[in-house]
Amino acid sequence: MKRMFSLVLTLCLLLSAAPVALSEGNATHIVLWHSMSENAGALLTSYIDTFNATIGAEKGITVEAVFQGTYAESVQKMNSMLSTGTVADLPDVMQLDATGKTAYLTADCAYSVTRAMEEHPEIAETVAEMLPPALNNWNLAGTQLGLPFATSTTLTYYNKTALDSVSAAAPDTLSDIADLAPLFAGDGRIVYAALPNTPTLANWLGQLGSYLVNEKNGNEGNATQLDCLENGALVAFLTQWRALYQSGALSNTAGSTDAFVAGQQLIMTGSSSNIASVLEKVGDSFEVGIAPYPRVSQDASYGASVNGSCLVMFDHADASRKSAAWELVRYLTGKDIQSDFASRTGYLPSHMAASESEAWQALIAAQPAYDVGFAQLKNTPDAMRSVTVGPAADFYYSIQNDISDFLEENMLPEEGAELMADDLEGLLHQYALANP
Amino acid sequence: MKRKALYFLSDLIVLCMGLLVFFPIVYGFLGAFKAPSEFAKQPPALFPESFRNLANFAEVFRLIPLPRLFLNSLIVACFSALVRIACAALAAYAFACFSFRGKHVLFLILLGTMMLPPETLTIGNYRTVARLGLLDTYLGISIVSFVGASQMFMLRQAFLQTDPELQDAAFLDGCGDMSYLLRILLPMNLPILTTLFLQAFVAQWNAYLWPLLVTNTPGMRTVQVGITMLTTVEGTNYETILAGVSLALIPSFLLFFLLRNRMTGSMKNGSLA
Amino acid sequence: MSAVTRRARRTLLPYLLLSPMLLFAAGFVYFPFLESAIHAVSIVNARGEITGFAGLSQFQYLFSRREFGIAIRNTLKLTLINVPITLCLTLTLSYLCIRRRTLSPLLEGLFALPMVVAMSSITLIAKVLFNPTVGFINHALHLSLGWFEDRHTAMAGILILTVWMGIGFNFLLFLAAFRDLDAGVLAAAALDGASRGRLLVSIQLPLMLPTIFYVLCTNMIQAMMTNGPILILTQGGPSRATTTLIYMMYTAGYASSNYSMAACISLVTFALTFLFTALLFRRDRKAVVE
Repeated sequence: MKRMFSLVLTLCLLLSAAPVALSEGNATHIVLWHSMSENAGALLTSYIDTFNATIGAEKGITVEAVFQGTYAESVQKMNSMLSTGTVADLPDVMQLDATGKTAYLTADCAYSVTRAMEEHPEIAETVAEMLPPALNNWNLAGTQLGLPFATSTTLTYYNKTALDSVSAAAPDTLSDIADLAPLFAGDGRIVYAALPNTPTLANWLGQLGSYLVNEKNGNEGNATQLDCLENGALVAFLTQWRALYQSGALSNTAGSTDAFVAGQQLIMTGSSSNIASVLEKVGDSFEVGIAPYPRVSQDASYGASVNGSCLVMFDHADASRKSAAWELVRYLTGKDIQSDFASRTGYLPSHMAASESEAWQALIAAQPAYDVGFAQLKNTPDAMRSVTVGPAADFYYSIQNDISDFLEENMLPEEGAELMADDLEGLLHQYALANP
Repeated sequence: MKRKALYFLSDLIVLCMGLLVFFPIVYGFLGAFKAPSEFAKQPPALFPESFRNLANFAEVFRLIPLPRLFLNSLIVACFSALVRIACAALAAYAFACFSFRGKHVLFLILLGTMMLPPETLTIGNYRTVARLGLLDTYLGISIVSFVGASQMFMLRQAFLQTDPELQDAAFLDGCGDMSYLLRILLPMNLPILTTLFLQAFVAQWNAYLWPLLVTNTPGMRTVQVGITMLTTVEGTNYETILAGVSLALIPSFLLFFLLRNRMTGSMKNGSLA
Repeated sequence: MSAVTRRARRTLLPYLLLSPMLLFAAGFVYFPFLESAIHAVSIVNARGEITGFAGLSQFQYLFSRREFGIAIRNTLKLTLINVPITLCLTLTLSYLCIRRRTLSPLLEGLFALPMVVAMSSITLIAKVLFNPTVGFINHALHLSLGWFEDRHTAMAGILILTVWMGIGFNFLLFLAAFRDLDAGVLAAAALDGASRGRLLVSIQLPLMLPTIFYVLCTNMIQAMMTNGPILILTQGGPSRATTTLIYMMYTAGYASSNYSMAACISLVTFALTFLFTALLFRRDRKAVVE
């Protein structure tokens, strides 16, 4: 026993002395944090390998791609590093989703595209090649945070075989979905399941011409209050949502791709980025239909804002790392990668030239499903913007939970709106109090 | 006769319960051999179509650096258990064999740490460890578990039960305090030291929240944190998750079967505290 | 070495021996606790800098949040359901396993095994096992429950999981304690014609009280601190159905960098745990004295 202990101890000491990261010669080593898993993860890894073998080898750059879990987990990591001042542990390039925007904007070590353009005016040309709605999504209070990499929008996936069997068309509005309830009553299948969250609620409010929070959904300054109360948009949405629930078509759960793929749920709203994987998983068991994001009501406009993620850079006070980071961002958001990535996943090409590339055009000719999202992006009103608030994670879950409680506890739309106003504005005040 | 039937019946019930408890583990191992398409099939089957499908295990090794994770867990668990027992033994010796000013207060201060569950201290400790620059290091993962008040208490009990004449005799022979502790007292209490070590080792091996917080790179994660990285946003790669879990369980089971009696022993000591 | 220096060394030595443990206790137990106490009454920005004094307003805000009431309820539910179930279950199982027989090693192995299965492993298995679509449980029991995806059943799922995780440790403890009971006393009582039930109630269980009490305390604290399965499986959802205090503290402090809120929650959790332990101690003293 004693010998085993001392053996193990020696082993420990030896290993803890061994350096974890190896830096090679004078090559510039940079780190990329990403949140791409499964199919998209494998693709991203292959792009990085190609980069290291080509541009990287040429310019003396090696990129280490680190999977940091979901966007939420990776943003949590970033937040905690910013708040403890351990910025040296931050990567050079990071894939950031909407919940990380505020924290990134206020970080001292952020190397935003705006800053990069100040230092190197020539890169403005590259920036201008990006698809405008995708690019603008990552512009906060006048600062271009990063460049769009994984751009997606929210779509309706429906079981076309099942809907055809009752000769129903693709749902256009929430009440179309409600109308399906009696047609499938008692056959054990769920028509639709969803819990609205920050982006999906903002989409529905946007269709009604309203913002969720002030300062144009927090894009032009710190949001301090809800902007959908006085104009009645929130109550209007909750009224429709409650009617949908009472029709029996809506299950008050998040729903799941599994249930949809297994044919147990007929309609789901989800990111366009899953088109490829959903089609693959469903296979021949039924025909999948893809339609634009449902409208709140007949008089609402179409549309859903851009989601997904961008690539942001961090400044580690090392010019060679900064320029290497930019090389990587330019490569991943460039025409070739964007058209390849889009046609193999369902993400939208974030680069204008990529959307005109042969690969993408051939794909949408063969499979029009891939074009629904792109067309929706063009139909979306310019004013519709994704939401940026300081307490992003709390906001997201509070919206989900409050709307779920609203249905569960059978509240009136006005009561639901009041509950949400108390809860969400409380979060905004609390945040503003500590972070003026 | 009636008694025998009763025994048989109770055996049967207990055995069924045991198998029920064991079932999730079996389910995990069986699922690890399934192909992704088998999970899409309705109704779900218990057994995989073939036990020769090892693709999931290969996928686990491709996605996470499993050998490295095992090594990390081993290093962290040994290191933290060793330091914990060492600190506890030194303190226990002071309390058992010395009288000094403030002894009572200091003893209560150390025992008082048991009143503060480590989970309630995570956020503060995270900030401390970050400020010390220990994020993503072995020391950072293990440093919060160095305080073992219950270990200290049990070792003190053990030291108190040692014949005081032994110490006098040792000192007469020119033996100093440290050599008395290291050469006589600790070896005499080797069984309890071993069980305490195993307890601390298993606790650290299975830890989740803290290692999750303080590690940032795949190469520094522990097994328990690493396997949860197999789950994805879509969360539909069940076969890979189960393959990862199965691989992660193997060393725990080996340890369990090799050292079961020792662990049972440690339980008994625990109950006395 | 003179006797004087030797004595001086011996007065210093105990402090020296205590210093490593005191150092770690101060740095990683008492310091974060004090920091929480300070943060709880301050305004702390997202970088963790104190920017003002808040008095009790942070607590006031916390208590006014819907989520907080739910988190307290969930935590109490977990504790008050999990602890008695685990206790009764493992007491029964260990009682039935006392007699050594051919099956003993197998049975003991089966029941003790959960002890070495890491929380994250069994949680991931449960994730698949309880999946409403692809999981085996719904199919085997002919159920169509949503388990972790449904606000009405998620807590039940977490409870099943946490009870399973507690089996190993408690079983081994109880079994060892049962077998340690004085065989002579039991044999004498049996000779007097006491039935097995009577033996259990008036002799075995009373003698087991210290062990039961120990298990009660540790299980209670563990249940109050439940966070792992929630982090991995449900993220507190669906619809806050599994948000516990520690999970709420984690999201406030780590995900949202709201340090004063995290500090308030941590103090409340601590106070509740302390209260429970104190109550247990009072009751136990009575029980033992009687």
